[in-house]
Amino acid sequence: MSLAAQRTRYVLRRLLQAVPILLAIVVINFLLLQLAEGDAADVLAGEAGSATPEYMAALRAKFGLDQPLALQLLAYAKNAALLDLGYSFRHDTAVATLIAGRLGPTLLLMLSAMAIALVVGTLLGVLAATGLNTWRDNVITVLALVAYATPLFWIGLMLIVVFSINAGWFPVSGMENVAAFHSGWDRVVDVARHLVLPAITLSLFYLALYARLMRASMLEQSGMDYVTTARAKGLTETRITARHVVRNALLPVVTMAGVQMGNLVGGSVVVESVFGWPGLGLLAFESLFARDLNLLMGIFLLSACLVVVVNLVVDIVYALLDPRIELR
Amino acid sequence: MSANRPFARLLSGVAVAALAMALSAPAQSQKKGGTLVMLVQPEPPTLASYASTSAPVGQITAKIFDGLAEYDFNLKPVPSLAESWTVSPDGKTITFKLRRDVKFHDGKPFTSADVKFSVLDVLVKAHPRGASTFREVRAIDTPDPHTAIFRLENPAPYLMMALSGYESPMLPQHVYGAGDIKSHPNANRPIGTGPFKFVEWQKGQYVRMDRNPDYWKKDRPYLDRIVARFVSDSATRTASIERGEANAAGMGAIYYSDVRRLEKLPAIDVTTKGYEMSSPVVELIFNTQAKPFDDVRVRQAVSYAIDRQWIIDNVWFGFGKPATGPINSNFAASGIYTDAVKRYQVPNGVEIANRLLDEAGYKRGPNGVRFEITHDITPYGEEWRRFGEYVQQALDKVGIKATLRYEDVGGWLRRVYTTYDFQLSSNWLQNLADPAIGVHRAFHSKSIRSGTVFVNASRWSDPKADALMDRASLEIDPAKRAALYHELQKIVVEAAPNVWTHELLFSTVHAKRVKNLATSPLGVFSSYDQVYIDN
Repeated sequence: MSLAAQRTRYVLRRLLQAVPILLAIVVINFLLLQLAEGDAADVLAGEAGSATPEYMAALRAKFGLDQPLALQLLAYAKNAALLDLGYSFRHDTAVATLIAGRLGPTLLLMLSAMAIALVVGTLLGVLAATGLNTWRDNVITVLALVAYATPLFWIGLMLIVVFSINAGWFPVSGMENVAAFHSGWDRVVDVARHLVLPAITLSLFYLALYARLMRASMLEQSGMDYVTTARAKGLTETRITARHVVRNALLPVVTMAGVQMGNLVGGSVVVESVFGWPGLGLLAFESLFARDLNLLMGIFLLSACLVVVVNLVVDIVYALLDPRIELR
Repeated sequence: MSANRPFARLLSGVAVAALAMALSAPAQSQKKGGTLVMLVQPEPPTLASYASTSAPVGQITAKIFDGLAEYDFNLKPVPSLAESWTVSPDGKTITFKLRRDVKFHDGKPFTSADVKFSVLDVLVKAHPRGASTFREVRAIDTPDPHTAIFRLENPAPYLMMALSGYESPMLPQHVYGAGDIKSHPNANRPIGTGPFKFVEWQKGQYVRMDRNPDYWKKDRPYLDRIVARFVSDSATRTASIERGEANAAGMGAIYYSDVRRLEKLPAIDVTTKGYEMSSPVVELIFNTQAKPFDDVRVRQAVSYAIDRQWIIDNVWFGFGKPATGPINSNFAASGIYTDAVKRYQVPNGVEIANRLLDEAGYKRGPNGVRFEITHDITPYGEEWRRFGEYVQQALDKVGIKATLRYEDVGGWLRRVYTTYDFQLSSNWLQNLADPAIGVHRAFHSKSIRSGTVFVNASRWSDPKADALMDRASLEIDPAKRAALYHELQKIVVEAAPNVWTHELLFSTVHAKRVKNLATSPLGVFSSYDQVYIDN
């Protein structure tokens, strides 16, 4: 069998295997969420401040909450299989519409943060490793440790205090200026200005992680035989680092970043909350407290699908990078 | 029947006077234009204010929908979509004369058919408290497009207090009449007659409303646009106000501790005006159907043990006023409120509490503890948690050991209002526009309804109190009605199914250059047609 055919078969098999996994995820999510006390009608009426018993009964009937649990689950699983994520009664909108509206801002924030983290993180890692045990290494290591250990919400608030309130360089929160409603290029610039602080805040955690990983990986690689060989050939240290060590040391960082791509759609509840960024994380967080189970399960299902797909892609990329790994 | 006449005359008299005042108001000092960015917390679940009375919903929709009446600071109705009204001497017929120059945002005229539709087909069927507000309305006659006659089964004096665009919005029948009102396609795209038109709702970010150029009030509104912004983090909301990205925030959107800091800034003002029609009273709720709080002496002891002023000063940063009972002192204006009731805020409260507990048979054990309870904290945020912690300490002084339990809103509501699996919890009772709407629900035996939130969770009831409330619902003579409520307050306060700690004062934090935010007792729930920005 040709290699291409073998790989196609592999991908198809993996996708088929994913179906029962996703089904199990749907069922487990559904049952887990039933453990939460109270239902969407309780919360809605609670926010309303008052309600008649007839109103509560009508709400429950409308939400389908008066049906037996097994029937509710069956109906949900059937709809999910047909790619119908259902209806959020709380928002009076289809779940798919709600998620689609939040996906863009989430991806924008997460991808920017990832890009900053990858570029700056590996750079710092290289700088630290090449100046091992000098002041440079020490400063970077300490900073990485601090960034890794500081709570995100605190960093976010401090950035707001320093750069928004005191310096006035960046807006405090939101994704765009709602008093102005810019359009065209003005809007792009406006969104970019709003993106700076949340993206930096969110990237700090990953940045610290990659810097430490890169530093360790560089040190490990620089003790390898091929580095000794390169040095014996008479290559300069700069060239050895740039051409050989960095490229090999990058592999674990790329692997780690690949795995963390799975977190992308999850967003970051903390950063979205602090900066008022309209992302999916916050939506999931709010829908949990509102007992908006349809919406919550929709977000979970989307995340689960993404993790399945990303895992598959990572496996394929491994095979492409390292021919010794076979797909079967 | 002659006794009923002053009521009717009073109402129409006030209507005329207010109309004259509205017409003569000077308009030259208000500047036109500008955008008001107001923080609304949390983001509302829907914009169907005819089906949800959730606080953030009304803050937005009150700009889009008008009601038949507005209210002045004496809590008297003044004309809005209805330019005048008359109440028959027996109180069973209310005739509304409607304005002739009112158009909905889609250009169609507003008529009496819309009034009939809004009340009978929408509010009664879909509004959380509409069925109870309009329970006496048997029919609405519409002899011509500008007259709506409410025919009542019994007099309903509280009805006149529930006609604002926030509480009872007037909807266009030609839009909302088609399809099921409970899942209507226009639920999140509201169309009304109000000063601002709905433009868009970017979920998670903002709702945008633009000036209605054809608004029936001449030269109003002053603003070009209102944007309601949603920011879930409290520190960020404060920062937005501080930096001027948002110009106004009401209803607890800014934490009390931050309000005290912001009000010192030169560009920012704080007002507690504009909440006179919600009249909240913070309360501790006992489960009176289970030991130990089935004993009135134990409940009174707890009430004596609580220091109300301490709570106001230290938990709510001074935003409050000690409460004497379930009815807010805002109702002193209409004579309904009285402080001639049993008083629990006394200097030797702890001593009395100890004595009452001894009498009730709960002696202190060897470790000084009489009994242990679980106190369910209200999951509404920081101050409620601290309130719970204070209660724990206050009870400790009289030998009651309280363990605090914290759940999220859904779980807590289920525990207190459905399964009654609690001993002591807290909440706040909004008196709303009238005790018949806001207070009866907490004490009437008919309000002991498992599964319905914010009703009689203590499950205390008393035939005498029931009878007083039933009579007060129908009594249209203001003096007699007030007397009934005085009697009710005495009975309820003596029986102490709740501890009423304080009347909550909400605050609106706003940029100084934003003017006229609180021109009505409905405050953030009013139409903002008079709000302007002074540059």
